[in-house]
Amino acid sequence: MSIDRTRHPLEDLPAYALGALEEAERAFVEAHLETCDECARELAQFEEALYEAAAVGAARADPPRDLRARIVLRHRGTRARRESDWGGARARAWLARPVPLALPLALAVFLVVSFVAVGTARREADAYARALAGVADGRVVALAAQKDAPPDARGALVIPRSGDPYVVLELSSPPTGKAWEAWVIKGQHPTAAGVSGSGGLFTIVLSAPVGAGDVVAVTLEPAAGSRAPTSDPILAGGT
Amino acid sequence: MLVERIAGGDAEALGDLYDRYGRVAFGMLYRMLPGPEAAEEVAQDAFHAVWRRASSYRPERGAVRTWLLAICRNAAIDWRRTRGKRSEREVSIDTAADLIADGRVDERVVDALREERVRKAVSELPAEQRDVLSLAFWGGYSQTEIAARTNTPLGTVKSRVRLGMTKLRERFVDER
Repeated sequence: MSIDRTRHPLEDLPAYALGALEEAERAFVEAHLETCDECARELAQFEEALYEAAAVGAARADPPRDLRARIVLRHRGTRARRESDWGGARARAWLARPVPLALPLALAVFLVVSFVAVGTARREADAYARALAGVADGRVVALAAQKDAPPDARGALVIPRSGDPYVVLELSSPPTGKAWEAWVIKGQHPTAAGVSGSGGLFTIVLSAPVGAGDVVAVTLEPAAGSRAPTSDPILAGGT
Repeated sequence: MLVERIAGGDAEALGDLYDRYGRVAFGMLYRMLPGPEAAEEVAQDAFHAVWRRASSYRPERGAVRTWLLAICRNAAIDWRRTRGKRSEREVSIDTAADLIADGRVDERVVDALREERVRKAVSELPAEQRDVLSLAFWGGYSQTEIAARTNTPLGTVKSRVRLGMTKLRERFVDER
């Protein structure tokens, strides 16, 4: 049965704004809105009023500190770019940057692959490589997997030119009651810098400053975090 | 401008959008969904949807905040329908009691003057209209479900939704 998109569903717009229509009704309104500016403007007025109220009714809840970084990281470098954006000069300039001493060969190969394999191959690169390749204005230092690291554990410290440093991690989910905790180690003194109970690809924005010569490490700790590391590092790297 | 930058593939612009509206979006999702993990998951889905749809944003159809929050609302509805367990959904009817909360709002989200205007407008709605708006928006219940749960004829629920939303809109349009 075809949908009559010419009928203006004015009576249903308030309920649509609320999300209170049944699926079929919602589909009809959505189909109509695609082509009707008049109803779209009408809906926008209902939505603006509703979201004024919703902003006051919203829970007073702080988003996770690293949510912004995760949202941005997920999308850096993911949009198909023109060939010239990624071609020779830019890639050569990137590769000519001083490479941090701690950057292991494996990550260097990743970055080279990411810049040489433009287009389809680039889009198919895994999310971890894309996240790091997309760091356009900062320094990336790989964290080396230590002897107790889970298989395929990967991590890198990102020191942006502006904003807090963060680590990009690819780790399995921690066991129940445990979390991954990041540390900034100055000399022999570790400072707790952030906890995450995530698995897969995720980030931890470091709450402690990272200076030259510091070491950043990740350990497995109780879910609430620890004052001092209680286990050997999974990943570690020096700046 | 911000949405244009996002449409152009600028991930930092997505971060700027988050800086402006991330807190209100998260607070809204936090109340619509059963816990912080779900709110976090849906917030990421919603910003990803913004990224994909930025080129189709039309400013003449509404403000950026409204567009973003509508995307968040739709993402929350999808989550409830596809990933939310029935038991999780049942919890939300208790938290959906009031359209706006009693406690003070975070001033980083809504300034005090604006908050007072909103509270006044909402308090002027008849209680039965406030209730259906709240059950639908925060609880995620459709008009049919509200009718069944409150033993109210569907036609009555629909007319309360229309009247409540129309009054709300008039209050805010009048305020401009």
